[in-house]
Amino acid sequence: MSEPAIETRGLSKSFGNKPALRDLTLQIPRGGVHAVIGSNGAGKSTLFRILLGLLGPTRGRSRVLGFDSQSLPPEARGRIALVHEEHTLPRWMSVDRLTRMQRRLFPGWMEGTYREVLGHFNVDPEQRVGELSRGERAGLNLALALAQSPDLLILDEPTLGLDVVAKQAFLEALLFTGVEEGRTTIYCSHQMDEIERVAENLIVLERGEVINVSPPEELASRISAWVAQLPADAPCLRARIPGLLQQREIDGQVHLVVLDEPAGFADHLASQGVVGLQRLHIGFDRAVNAFLSRNHTSPAQGDPS
Amino acid sequence: MIEVVTGDSRPIFRQIVDGLRMKIATGELPPGTRLPSVRGLALQLTVNFNTVAKAYGELTSEGLIESRKGVGVFVSPPRQRLSEEERERRLGEALQHFTSAVASLGFSPDELLQRAAEALEPLRRGPADNE
Repeated sequence: MSEPAIETRGLSKSFGNKPALRDLTLQIPRGGVHAVIGSNGAGKSTLFRILLGLLGPTRGRSRVLGFDSQSLPPEARGRIALVHEEHTLPRWMSVDRLTRMQRRLFPGWMEGTYREVLGHFNVDPEQRVGELSRGERAGLNLALALAQSPDLLILDEPTLGLDVVAKQAFLEALLFTGVEEGRTTIYCSHQMDEIERVAENLIVLERGEVINVSPPEELASRISAWVAQLPADAPCLRARIPGLLQQREIDGQVHLVVLDEPAGFADHLASQGVVGLQRLHIGFDRAVNAFLSRNHTSPAQGDPS
Repeated sequence: MIEVVTGDSRPIFRQIVDGLRMKIATGELPPGTRLPSVRGLALQLTVNFNTVAKAYGELTSEGLIESRKGVGVFVSPPRQRLSEEERERRLGEALQHFTSAVASLGFSPDELLQRAAEALEPLRRGPADNE
């Protein structure tokens, strides 16, 4: 049990000549909730397809629960559960029948957990899956996944399209059902409010590389937001600020979000004629979104990459 | 009991620490009050229980709360919880934060003093007197 839940070394994958993962080395220890985020195309789904053995890497290797992900034995496969945004379940089957089927499929099936999770969602066992609401279907999917008592639970945008009530039920069930069993949860989402609540570790992918592994609040604390007055004769900054994540010029003011407030930050701005520098409050969601978009919203003079 | 919000400039564990510290300082949670368990509070707030554990850890190291094995977590009896230097250091830090936050808001120092006095009023009713 001491091997990491997930371990990759120099993992690379290209589709044609387009790299999706670049020399990606990552270790996710056992236990806890680990968020994996990244803009579209950052490589999240490629990574998970490789980890689940659905796709082979071009180079490098990956281990899941101590096994090579390219040759996962059935017993390892049975200890991994996946909850997917689309909640793909047979629509024609009744909930009850689906439950009976799954119960037979998984030797470690935990009926108590299953009922506890479903209890958060008011699912009627007689209903057909196709008749359930989106939230109920998400709950059913989570219940089925948790009842397998998985060692590794992978959630891919699980709350997409859920209303507030269903979302709350989903998070409660996820956070408080069977956690003492030491399950490792991988949470892929764009919902920063959820990540702030549930994740104790934040892994950020960008262009097929890992660019952050830390507790979420640690990344957020490195990011600061500022506003200042631009000089009257210059509608925008002339020189790029080091550590810049985001820069916007609005009504004679420049709004900046920076990483690790660079040495001489204020002087750098002052030398460009900027005055009245003020720090703004910035929440987790804005901070991390700025971090994610740092190479997408470079100012006009931004470096070409 | 306390609330946390996402998207705040303070991380959730800090919101929990601040919230509880304030309630203890004002006497809303008097010494001996039993606090929710780590999991109980995590459930109330819908946050990861490690976040609550971290917050409780900080309050425990400050001597504000204590956990009694097998019984629960309680507000500690009032006593000199921090060293003199540490209290001074923290006060200085807090005042510096406050000053820099309000510096550009255009209030006069007198107005600020008045408002600060109002904001501190709840502490008068609390157990903080018995130093």
